[in-house]
Amino acid sequence: MRREVRAEWTKLRTEPGAVRLLPALVVLTVAASVAVCASVTCPAAGCGHDAVRLALGGVQVGQAVAAVLAVLVVGGEYGTGMIRTTLTAMPRRGAVLAAKAAVLTGVTLPAAVLAVLGSLLAGRLVLPGRGFTAAHGHPPLSLADGPTLRAVAGSVLYLVLVALLSLGIAFAVRDSAAAIGVVLGLLYASAVLPLMVGDPDWQLALWRLSPSNAGLAVQATTGLDGLPLSPWAGLGVLAAWAVAALTGGGLLLRARDA
Amino acid sequence: METTIEVAGLRKRYGPTLALDGMTFTVTPGRVTGFVGPNGAGKSTTMRVVLGLDAADEGTALVGGRPYRSLRDPLRHVGALLDAGALQPSRTGRHHLLWLAHSQGLGARRVDEVIDLVGLGSAARRRAGGYSLGMRQRLGIAAALLGDPPMLMLDEPFNGLDPEGMVWIRGLLGSLAAEGRAVLVSSHLMSELEDTAGHVVVVGRGRVVADAAVADLIAGASRGRVTLRTSDRAAATAVLAGAGAAVTVSGRDTVTVSGVPAERVVGLLTAGGVPFSEVAAHRATLEEAYMELTRDAVEFRAATGGAAR
Repeated sequence: MRREVRAEWTKLRTEPGAVRLLPALVVLTVAASVAVCASVTCPAAGCGHDAVRLALGGVQVGQAVAAVLAVLVVGGEYGTGMIRTTLTAMPRRGAVLAAKAAVLTGVTLPAAVLAVLGSLLAGRLVLPGRGFTAAHGHPPLSLADGPTLRAVAGSVLYLVLVALLSLGIAFAVRDSAAAIGVVLGLLYASAVLPLMVGDPDWQLALWRLSPSNAGLAVQATTGLDGLPLSPWAGLGVLAAWAVAALTGGGLLLRARDA
Repeated sequence: METTIEVAGLRKRYGPTLALDGMTFTVTPGRVTGFVGPNGAGKSTTMRVVLGLDAADEGTALVGGRPYRSLRDPLRHVGALLDAGALQPSRTGRHHLLWLAHSQGLGARRVDEVIDLVGLGSAARRRAGGYSLGMRQRLGIAAALLGDPPMLMLDEPFNGLDPEGMVWIRGLLGSLAAEGRAVLVSSHLMSELEDTAGHVVVVGRGRVVADAAVADLIAGASRGRVTLRTSDRAAATAVLAGAGAAVTVSGRDTVTVSGVPAERVVGLLTAGGVPFSEVAAHRATLEEAYMELTRDAVEFRAATGGAAR
């Protein structure tokens, strides 16, 4: 397994396209967070906004970059036929998937930490100017606050889990464009699907099943009682999706001709 | 056993196409074995099955007595070139070899050795996407040699090479075999292998048509044929065909005659007053022997539209 990881690491760091996506993940996440924060106001106490969730809003954009990176790690090999070279050099297919997952986690994690901390800092700098002041019930954002720390750590994990989910799907679909379509559909279409259903029970069930709605519950710091799932349980839904995708992708990788 | 590639009774179906139909042969060390047949005969499929990329429906494929997928550091056992274009274009050739080396527990020094060995030189530090087909073949051969393997399997390595490259690879294959390695080289053109391979496995329709030494194959195809040199091809053909011989034109003033012995040819021509300057036992080329062996397979493909894979 060590050789597989080393080989996959060498592959990733020598592919300029993949390497460029990591700074893009950080920049786009923070930029989107700034845009979200700059577009809301809190004119008076009790404005009802969740300042932490607003500050981390860029994660909804950053997740697309994490997904694209993960898909390209696999789809780029199927598109060129290099997957056959990979599986000739490393015939233990489960180990190849595990190595790719480990390397992807290794590069997505630090990028996600920078992206999420950058977003929180952006919120701390921008939000007070938009009326999120202590007088209106919004002290400056700080990691010393328990729920804020949970939202930050959870957002980092959210981005990593999105990458792993995408990796599994890419192994199952074996085509970059199709895999990106499936992943983005799963993340964004499933987020709005509950809004298009009339029946409240169905609405609730779809919300709980949606990897992005449920997963981003981990960012909530206010109104937790009103959430369909607790923050960590919500992230657990996304984790279950990621495990299912990796398992399915791994089984297909082992069963199919390369 | 340690350095033998053995394929036994392989069968493989892709949808309606039977790609392999009892493919059986052995590649022994110390010589270059040619693996020839028309496109779609099952050469690449056989190689993919040997490398554990595709699973056969029936039969076994062993390298050094073991299934490929059970090998640790497989590139140290078998070096393979399947498709020289199968690499990510934005990575440099050197980095492509580097990840392969790391996957086998090898280091950058070995990478630079094989780059020198195949003459890739400074191009190794350029993006592989900008390589000519010939440079990609050299990179693919470098990858096959990376683990210094006792067995080699190269699929159409002559494709895209310039004449200088052809000479180079013929020499390389010969010296690799002389070092005691088992070398299997596929081609759809027998002429590419004529001076390289000592032994050929000829395949058609997913099974072995002939598995023989090149010398025997040529002798077999030559048997009972006569080459005739004449200034009046038409008259010679008429006279000989009238006596039941099969006549094919083989040159501007030569024909190949079969079905009638040389003595009788001389007699017929003399009796018919046909001028001729030479009557000799025919020596077939490897190409002719191959065409004869694979004729059925080619006809089959023409009739069915020839789904190649």
